[in-house]
Amino acid sequence: MIDRRQFVLASAASAAALGTGPSVRGQELPAGYPADYKAVVEKARSEGVISIYTSTDDVQGRPIVEAFQKAFPGIRVDYNDLGTNGSYNRVISEAAAKQVGSDIVWTSAMDLQMVLVQKGLAEAYKSPETGRLPVWANFKDTLYGTTVEPVAILYNKAQLAAFKLPQTRAELLAFMRDNKDALKGKLATFDPEKSGTGFLFFSNDAKTRPDTFELVRAFGATEGKTYGSSGAMREKIVSGEHWLAFNVIGSYAIEWAAKNPALGYILTSDYTAAFSRVANISKGAPHPNAARVFLDFLIGAAGQTALASVGAPSIRTDVSSGLNLTRLGEMAKGNLKPIPVTSALLEATEPKNRADFFRRWKEALRG
Amino acid sequence: MSLAAQAPRFRATVILALFTMVAAPAGLIIYQSFLSAPFFDEAARPSLEAYEFILTDPEFYRALWTTILYAVGLVLIAVPLGGLLAFLITRTDLKGRGWIEPLVLVPMFLSSIVLAFGYTVAVGPSGFVTIAFRSVFGAAPWSIYTLPGIILIGGLSHVPTVYLYVASAMRRLPSDLEEAARTAGASIWRVSLDVTLPMVLPALVFSAALNLLLGFETFGIPLVLGDPNGILVLTTYIYKVNSIFGAPTYQVMAAVTVFLILITLPLVFIQRRLLRHARRFAAVGGKGARTNLLKLGRAGQAIALSIIGLWLLVSVVLPVGGVVLRAFVENWGEGVRLSEQWTLANFRAVFAIESLSRGIVNTILLAAVGGALAVGFYLLVGLAGHRNHGRTGTLLDYSILIPRALPGLIVGLAFFWLFLFVPFLVPLRTTLFSLLIAYVIVGLSYGLRIIQATLLQVAPELEESARTAGATTFRTWRDVVIPLVRPGLAGAWAMIMIVFLREYATGVYLMGAGTEVIGSLMVSLLTSGAMDQIAALSFISILLTAVGLTLALRLGAKIHD
Repeated sequence: MIDRRQFVLASAASAAALGTGPSVRGQELPAGYPADYKAVVEKARSEGVISIYTSTDDVQGRPIVEAFQKAFPGIRVDYNDLGTNGSYNRVISEAAAKQVGSDIVWTSAMDLQMVLVQKGLAEAYKSPETGRLPVWANFKDTLYGTTVEPVAILYNKAQLAAFKLPQTRAELLAFMRDNKDALKGKLATFDPEKSGTGFLFFSNDAKTRPDTFELVRAFGATEGKTYGSSGAMREKIVSGEHWLAFNVIGSYAIEWAAKNPALGYILTSDYTAAFSRVANISKGAPHPNAARVFLDFLIGAAGQTALASVGAPSIRTDVSSGLNLTRLGEMAKGNLKPIPVTSALLEATEPKNRADFFRRWKEALRG
Repeated sequence: MSLAAQAPRFRATVILALFTMVAAPAGLIIYQSFLSAPFFDEAARPSLEAYEFILTDPEFYRALWTTILYAVGLVLIAVPLGGLLAFLITRTDLKGRGWIEPLVLVPMFLSSIVLAFGYTVAVGPSGFVTIAFRSVFGAAPWSIYTLPGIILIGGLSHVPTVYLYVASAMRRLPSDLEEAARTAGASIWRVSLDVTLPMVLPALVFSAALNLLLGFETFGIPLVLGDPNGILVLTTYIYKVNSIFGAPTYQVMAAVTVFLILITLPLVFIQRRLLRHARRFAAVGGKGARTNLLKLGRAGQAIALSIIGLWLLVSVVLPVGGVVLRAFVENWGEGVRLSEQWTLANFRAVFAIESLSRGIVNTILLAAVGGALAVGFYLLVGLAGHRNHGRTGTLLDYSILIPRALPGLIVGLAFFWLFLFVPFLVPLRTTLFSLLIAYVIVGLSYGLRIIQATLLQVAPELEESARTAGATTFRTWRDVVIPLVRPGLAGAWAMIMIVFLREYATGVYLMGAGTEVIGSLMVSLLTSGAMDQIAALSFISILLTAVGLTLALRLGAKIHD
């Protein structure tokens, strides 16, 4: 009984966050949830645990974990920050040993997780929240986009005070070419060799923007440095070692700029790519019902609100606290181009395509 | 059956058990290197593809060459400096050596990730010190992101390892030979070079070989400092190869690891040959050794203290100061006034996040309790190998050094597989025991060498006289050897505790929710770049080791004895 009441409270919280405010009477389920959903929650509670393999670090993942625990107090969250490669490794190893340990896989490696789906290591589940997501964020009711995070420029305001800041990709290219000597060693970007996210950004750029390798070439000519994480770049930009970094995770950049007046960010107005953290339920998950409840929570209004509170903008248009898909679209002047969750993600993982990309990348980076 | 008859069986059992623990992960890695896909994949077939890939990859050769330069450079810096510090602190009347000694060991307490991170914050291009220096002198003429910079930092950080081995040997030397040389008019440097040095040669050789191996296995410093300039060593090459293919390429990682083993096995062989005549160097006999300290004189004191002071400044004050500062600020760098930035926010975040605070508790448990269990295990192995000149002795030597050739990251990965695929190990996978077992293997050469060196110092005539008087091997060990080495065991525990506290690579693939440890948490946080929490965890890690060390010293566990 307590279980149900808390579930209803959670639903109420979701509803409140939505701002739609339906009346909460008795044991109503949110709109669109099947009548037998309460039974799923009951079962999830008796499973008692939800095990998550993720690349979202403990700091960023905390609000969603706390919100989930508040909504479903009986379910312990085993939160494993394993990184993108680490999550993938562990999932395929455990599947081979027939000891699946993950209920939910939730990482920013859209391509690797699509490989998991392709390998048959993900379980299809049609979430009642599906209707609230953009069509491109749902792959066969199996792999779901949970955030929309723009790719941005992060810069140190004081160091760039004398420069005209680039507002488009074309201006960024001109900025690097025109100030080649002044910017020597002062630029940074994501390293596609070290980071799956960096690879996702640049391979997506290469596919959709013809000027990508021109940009890399101009960057190489300034003897820019590459890093394996956005946080590492932030550190160097805060300290003034670098002045500007492009192709960083923009949702972080927006948060950092809000906290630290020395930092600024730019969403290029002619083209701003965006990626999603994607989630799926593991095939043979040890706690299948808890997995469903968590997945629903993650893409539900309450979970999306919690994510938005740590700067992971909501993929829904109806979550209003923090950033969401609509607001980001406006910030990018209507040119936000999210990477869709489709099997096209597999192209970049083909060894031949990867080798080809890196050959061009290295050649361009020489400047 | 008499106890005497059981000793060979005891030796064989222990050594075979150890060999299994070492050979299983190493064998798995070698096997994996000859496959075309992960060994558990149905598509895996025998193949040399992985070797073909690395042998035709120019990056591999570049990384190999950098690794050799790094390892040799590290030895050239660490061994003379460690030896010199050991001599000054153990053999002379240097002022303040009581409090200098724990400071000398500080870099050893820290995982190289913490150290490298500290250097970045202190003397990186926008470090606290760099900015201050630049504002006074106009320019700061150093760069820590170059190969020489990385070698220097690596070398300095390995000085304590050399120090511990050499100081331990020096303390056991009777001082009569040095005194005789002094009386005959030799200068203090002459004495150190011609008298002390030859007597501690085995310890120097040990530490040189060990540091060469450590150099080949190094990961944290090149990862943090080499990456921005694309400087790769073999271990970071392994790391990079993994992401170049997009998906884990275990076979290539394994093939590079096999190369590491091939490079280091000859080193083991040389080391073994050099130490075959260890008997010649046994300096603790049945008679008590009296130690008189050499007098440095006023000028000598000044020079010695300056050398140590400079070393302490560069190796301890800079990186630790960097970490401490960074832990209490969120923003730093050019144009940021630090006095306005003080905050406890980084720590609040760490304690509010369950996995991070649990990581702290787990690390303490693993280091203190796990460390003690490890020493017990090492003692068993040490006794099994003690004065064992048979074939099992050779097997033991290689069993000890093989894991040294394997990067911690790979050991962790191999154990992850073993715990996953070996049925009777499965229940342990999600407990701290999985980490402990991997740690025991990773810390093996450190711990065992300390114990073996201590055991070797017990002159054979003591044991021989016990045996002649009719004692069994077990009895000899119990009544003669163990009581004599007991202080050494406490020291070994303190050392193992430190090794376990600073370990970061091994847990990366092994840990999960509930078994987090600080070091590996820092590696995962480094991936996402959460520097605020890394700084706070680094600070806590330093604090823990300081507490541990103080405790160990209070309990009478002299690190050096």
